[in-house]
Amino acid sequence: MSRRTQKLSRAVLVVAAAIITSNTERLPAQEVDDWTLSRTPWGDPDLQGVWRYEGATPLERPDDLAGRATLTDEEIAELARIEAERAANREAGLDGVAVGRSTLDESPIRGNEYNIFWQDHGRARQAYAQTSLIVDPLDGKLPYTDDARIAARRSDARYGVGPYESYLDPDTGERCLTDGVTAIMWQGPNGGHNRIVQSPGFVTILHEEYRDRRIIPVDGREHGSIRQWLGEAVGHWEGDTLVVETINFLDRTNYEWASIWTRASESLHIIERFRRVSETDMEYTITVEDPKTFTRPWTAAVPITRLPDGIQIYEYACHEGNRAMPNLLSAGRVEAGLAPSAN
Amino acid sequence: MRISLIAFVAGSALAASAVQVSAHHAFAAEFDVNRPITLTGTVVELELINPHSWIHLDVTSADGTIERWMIEGGPPNALFRRGFTRAALPIGSEIVVEGFQAKDGSMRANGRDIVFTDGRTPFTGSFGVGPDSR
Amino acid sequence: MRIGFRGVLASAVATAVFAALWLNAAPVRAQAGDYTAPRTADGRPDLNGIWQALNTAHYDLEAHSARPALALTAALPRAEQPGLGRSTPVPMPAPEIRALGAAGGVPGGESVVVGGEIPYQPWAAARRDENAARWLERDPEIKCYMPGVPRATYMPYPFQILQGTNEILIAYEFADTTRTIFMSDVGDSPEPTWMGWSRGRWEEDTLVVEVTDLNDRTWFDRAGNFHSDALRVVERYTPMSPYHLMYEATIEDANVFTRPWTIRMPLYRRLETDKRLFDYKCVEYVEQLMYGELGVVDPETGEQND
Repeated sequence: MSRRTQKLSRAVLVVAAAIITSNTERLPAQEVDDWTLSRTPWGDPDLQGVWRYEGATPLERPDDLAGRATLTDEEIAELARIEAERAANREAGLDGVAVGRSTLDESPIRGNEYNIFWQDHGRARQAYAQTSLIVDPLDGKLPYTDDARIAARRSDARYGVGPYESYLDPDTGERCLTDGVTAIMWQGPNGGHNRIVQSPGFVTILHEEYRDRRIIPVDGREHGSIRQWLGEAVGHWEGDTLVVETINFLDRTNYEWASIWTRASESLHIIERFRRVSETDMEYTITVEDPKTFTRPWTAAVPITRLPDGIQIYEYACHEGNRAMPNLLSAGRVEAGLAPSAN
Repeated sequence: MRISLIAFVAGSALAASAVQVSAHHAFAAEFDVNRPITLTGTVVELELINPHSWIHLDVTSADGTIERWMIEGGPPNALFRRGFTRAALPIGSEIVVEGFQAKDGSMRANGRDIVFTDGRTPFTGSFGVGPDSR
Repeated sequence: MRIGFRGVLASAVATAVFAALWLNAAPVRAQAGDYTAPRTADGRPDLNGIWQALNTAHYDLEAHSARPALALTAALPRAEQPGLGRSTPVPMPAPEIRALGAAGGVPGGESVVVGGEIPYQPWAAARRDENAARWLERDPEIKCYMPGVPRATYMPYPFQILQGTNEILIAYEFADTTRTIFMSDVGDSPEPTWMGWSRGRWEEDTLVVEVTDLNDRTWFDRAGNFHSDALRVVERYTPMSPYHLMYEATIEDANVFTRPWTIRMPLYRRLETDKRLFDYKCVEYVEQLMYGELGVVDPETGEQND
């Protein structure tokens, strides 16, 4: 870790800790008091299980909450009530506004292409105090470079509009490659589930989507020099916190990405910290540095939840079943007048 | 003032997105928003695969011939976690699909809204083994 | 249609013979001999590590001679040549892969099938031969599809065993595929999958994995050996020394084979310092092959597709 990064991430951690504290304060006192960190048979903190971000807090702070890092207790309660009501409506098949069974006039297509039941995880989203996952910079916004901001706007403008002239035009997720490492712990097209398995000297994170896999050595080795799509992750324990530093990404900035801020570039440098704070809660922070995309490092503090035993992640055979690719290329040819419409 | 603040939160972007998924699947690249379609038919095959499920549907057209449609749905893994099995949408079920036809004019559509002919949705609610809502 | 008594009898006899063969298939067991595997902190045999097969099973499970390529084109007969009696010389590599030269060749190899041959039903043997002849268009490996079980084990890529507390992961380099071996009861697989649903248990030092819910899309090798979705595989991983495991997989598929059969081969530990698996996102390597000509523009040429 460079000295500059170290200094920055320390400053950021103070902010992150303050916000996380305000989140975990909501836990029943007993849960916090009675809990002791379980350990693997070889003595490492046990982080195993299926984890998911279940919060309602978005990555970036909404403009209408500008200047406010946290919600008041009453606002949190109101948000929790709304989320619980939504979950109950989904379960009852009522769905509610903008989540599925509404007419075209009532809801936009984007985000509502399919019934909500496909994405219903059967659980209400959690209301947290923080108004953005990003805790640094303090405005809760991604510190894009000008070029990256233009790229992000361009990407957004062409989403679903195209042109889709070849397999290079859909984004890396639609090509069944990956959505990148950055957001792996808190989002994904199927809900962003991760299974953590520990074995002596390794912590492995299986991300359901794209079957992204990070086998993280925690055996004292240094980084090597081989660049990979998901970079090279090396971890170590600082007390009971797992610290993972990932570098050596391949440059894939020339591809379309669903989110520019998760794209892989050779200068991408990620530091993550995993600390289990209760049976069901993990404090996860990520600091992302990449001069190609950001003017400065940014940090997100993401409370993630351990799902009940018995909840699995399932095989994600994406490329194997990716009919959207030939279908959208076929659509492109018909639109370009290169092939007749089937009817 | 306090109440308006709460209403403010409820109406803000924090509460706006019902399901936080990364923007994906260039739907509009594959399907034509100018070709809305309603199909009533019989389920002949159910493929619960990623990244999208597919329901094969026999639809009797106006002239009495049977057309085989393919309806694209969402990914199946969340359903699996809620204990869903294919028994919830048996082969032979009569369903109504609202969606948009494929841009290349073939007999494919997205299943924006899928219901049984009696109005029930096939995959809603608990299947008995999913976790309780919290 | 009437079925005569003789037909019924023949069919009954065939069924009885089939059942007898099925039931009598002798189980084959690797013996660890005097070797006792080291133990993990919780007392289990320690199979952690990066392993790899070192054989030609990925080309063909059965015994095979060396040949110039997997996809071959028959050469012209030479019967007209005086003094050369052989009508067909060595076939040549198919045009699509000829440029690979000797790098595209197939080394000869022994059978890893216990007893030598895969007991196909007659129709299935014909299908296997057809698969082999149409290898370039049919082998799922070429399209970067998940390889299935047991094929993932002996592809020419390393894989890593990661023994967690309640699950054991087997992480394969090819196509970034990972299997979760459940060591406790987690119920059934919701649907058939490419890599199946794996339940594991220990039998002394041997990790035994029962694999069910496999789909019918995968193959066993590049020689067209295949199965149906009735496939069930029982794998046995037995430590034989600090440096090798014995791997056995018993394959049952009553739709395709006349009886269960077993493959057996050693797997070797990768001993390089700090060895690790690397990403192998081969989707990127096959998109041009699979989709290059389907779009408006061919990325290879930048020109419009006709």
